[in-house]
Amino acid sequence: MSRKQPKGEWIETDTGNKVNRKANLIGTQHIMLGGKTVIMPDAMIRGDLARTATSAAGGPPGSNTAVFIGRYCFLSKGCCLRPPGRIYKGAFTYMPLRLGDHVFIGEGSIVQAATVGSHVHIAKDVVVGEFAIIKDYVRIMEGTIIPANMVIPSFSIVAGQPARIIGEVPEGGHEAFELRERYKSVKTNPLAAGS
Amino acid sequence: MASFTPYSYIQCPCFDATGQARPSDESPSASSSDAPESDDDHAFDPRSPRSNYSLYPIEHLLYCVDCNQIRCPRCVAEELVTIYCPSCLFEVGSSSVKTEGNRCTRSCFQCPVCIGPLAVQSLEPAPESSSLLTADNAAPPAPGPWALCCSYCNWSSSEIGIKFDKPQGIFGQLAKIRDGDGHGDISVAAVDAAPTKKSGDAEADSTKSRFALMRSFYQSQLANSNSTSSGNLSGTLGEYGYGSPTALSRIMSLYSGNGLAALKPKSRPTEIREADSFKDGFRPSNLDESSSISALRENGYDGTVTNSQATSQVDEGARFVEDLWPIPHLLRSKRAKRCPVCRHILSKPEAKVNNTRWRIRLVAGNYIPSISIKPLNPTDTPGLPVPDTSSLTLTPLKPTQYLLTFKNQMFDQIKVTLATPATTPGRFASRVTVLCPQFTIDANAEDYDINEALKDDRRQDKEEAAPQVEAGKPWERGRNWVSIVVEVIPSSLRIEPKPAILRKPGEAEDLGPLKEDEDILEIPMFVRLEWESEAAQDQVGSTASKDKEAKEKRELAYWCVLGLGRISQD
Ligand SMILES: [Zn+2]
Ligand SMILES: [Zn+2]
Ligand SMILES: [Zn+2]
Ligand SMILES: [Zn+2]
Repeated sequence: MSRKQPKGEWIETDTGNKVNRKANLIGTQHIMLGGKTVIMPDAMIRGDLARTATSAAGGPPGSNTAVFIGRYCFLSKGCCLRPPGRIYKGAFTYMPLRLGDHVFIGEGSIVQAATVGSHVHIAKDVVVGEFAIIKDYVRIMEGTIIPANMVIPSFSIVAGQPARIIGEVPEGGHEAFELRERYKSVKTNPLAAGS
Repeated sequence: MASFTPYSYIQCPCFDATGQARPSDESPSASSSDAPESDDDHAFDPRSPRSNYSLYPIEHLLYCVDCNQIRCPRCVAEELVTIYCPSCLFEVGSSSVKTEGNRCTRSCFQCPVCIGPLAVQSLEPAPESSSLLTADNAAPPAPGPWALCCSYCNWSSSEIGIKFDKPQGIFGQLAKIRDGDGHGDISVAAVDAAPTKKSGDAEADSTKSRFALMRSFYQSQLANSNSTSSGNLSGTLGEYGYGSPTALSRIMSLYSGNGLAALKPKSRPTEIREADSFKDGFRPSNLDESSSISALRENGYDGTVTNSQATSQVDEGARFVEDLWPIPHLLRSKRAKRCPVCRHILSKPEAKVNNTRWRIRLVAGNYIPSISIKPLNPTDTPGLPVPDTSSLTLTPLKPTQYLLTFKNQMFDQIKVTLATPATTPGRFASRVTVLCPQFTIDANAEDYDINEALKDDRRQDKEEAAPQVEAGKPWERGRNWVSIVVEVIPSSLRIEPKPAILRKPGEAEDLGPLKEDEDILEIPMFVRLEWESEAAQDQVGSTASKDKEAKEKRELAYWCVLGLGRISQD
């Protein structure tokens, strides 16, 4: 995904993604980054778990994307994005995992959702079960376990094992989901700066 | 020790209204003999129990631009905009909420054991079956029967003997099993091979069905007795049978003894039989608990429900795990908020469930400055991330400096005046000094300030340019923010009696052990803002029109509380 190989800890792509060299991106041809996303060391994206059931032949390249990530996402240390899988038309297949914009994923959290909306904060040590759907402006507290297939409506604060909605995001709390500043605060190697 | 993040909470003015209205009911003579404490000298105590109800982080506060005042979640008036199911995200009309109740009828269920979501699964181990409701493909029809299964704890409705014939219309099928047959409010098409629940309690067992039975029983009783006096029967009796004047007079006579009955002696009430059987919806208390006892003996404690499981059930009275039914999802709502004083709308979401925009959102953060707190460590290089503050504790009697950063989101320049008591209230009085209690913050101009970006870079280059702590001067200022220094001398947390000379007569001293969070150094701070803004132009009246250009002086004052950190216990 990056043509140039500057020496340093970070790779900055043309669209402004800041990817740490110690991040674990598997099957990069199945991973789509919207730009300005930060991927920290030891974060893992399982692009190799791409859809198998649909016609492997035909279709334009890139149509078999396993993980879609929007803009200004932040994948913390040791988190894992893993497409969910199920039996479809009699055969097991993985389905794509989609992240919106401004999605923060905390340290060590595992996300196997079908979709995560925009402006979502997932704290550390969270497990998002397979095919869960998280809508926009949702805050998931530390250590939460979201069961498979659970739907979480917008403006929810979620905690617990299993997860339950424990509160609402207040009207004045929307701006706190913005990750632009966070993106800017990640300084890639200053020597190699200036892509 | 638990981690600690500095915080600032703001007090809503609704606090005053309640606080002053309440007369001091404890020993009025003693308080009047003391120096009369007027509210002006009486500094706000963030630790008083009442303060809990009026202190909010700025994100939770709204702002009424007409009253020019802060409003909090406790004092705003809420209005329903949309009611929806949090699981299927379908909107539910308010009329159907009235008839169907406050739970989703679209087959969204929660696990009665763990509250995880339930999904319909075939009980046959068919290799072809899809586990999802939404399988719209033409997969071979999975064989029944079906059950609701929890994806978190693997509970299955088959454990309590509930199976379904088809994977659709689960809510209706479940209602049928639960309420027995023959109730009009079950909308689902008749299920031929009736869904099966164990046995035994085939009689209507749920509160809902008993209520329906009892209602129809009393309706028919009333109709019979009314038939003599009025020909107007169940058509207008309404659902409860209390709609007619005769029914009302009967009730009145029941409660007033001889009142109305005495006035109309000839309308002697015909006999009303009370409900006394299952088909009337009557259920006598089961005083024979031997079956419960034997169930307890058999399954032990594990066979009983927890308190939270019992309370999350729709029907009350669940005691054993086999009494636990799938829980239809409670509906949620989107709500608009109004100012309690002038009734203007302060926030209003778009009505559509999936639309996350807001038509109106007057949040306090746009009108009053936010306050962020961090410890001032002169050896820090500004610009670098602050070292982990969670491990930081305050050492008693050691002067410590904190940096308060006020950020102005308004498009007007504001003048800020701060006041704090010299010592914090409570048992452990720490000394507080605000080094710069008065300053102005520039407006939040829309254009991006390149100078600030440059300044950030410059600061990184030259560390020696770090500002100095100087009384009366802000520590640092930027485009729309100002940082000031506040110095605290934390009190010792030792609990020892005051010297007798300092004690007021009759004052009881609290020498109890340290209470929860009593080691947090909290500063009450009075903030006064002054600014000049455009004269209210949105006023349609002609008064404002002639001096549109004129600026209008405004001010706002409120208490807030700053939590700086925990004092270490030596
Ligand atoms: Zn209030
Ligand atoms: Zn629903
Ligand atoms: Zn469960
Ligand atoms: Zn108002």
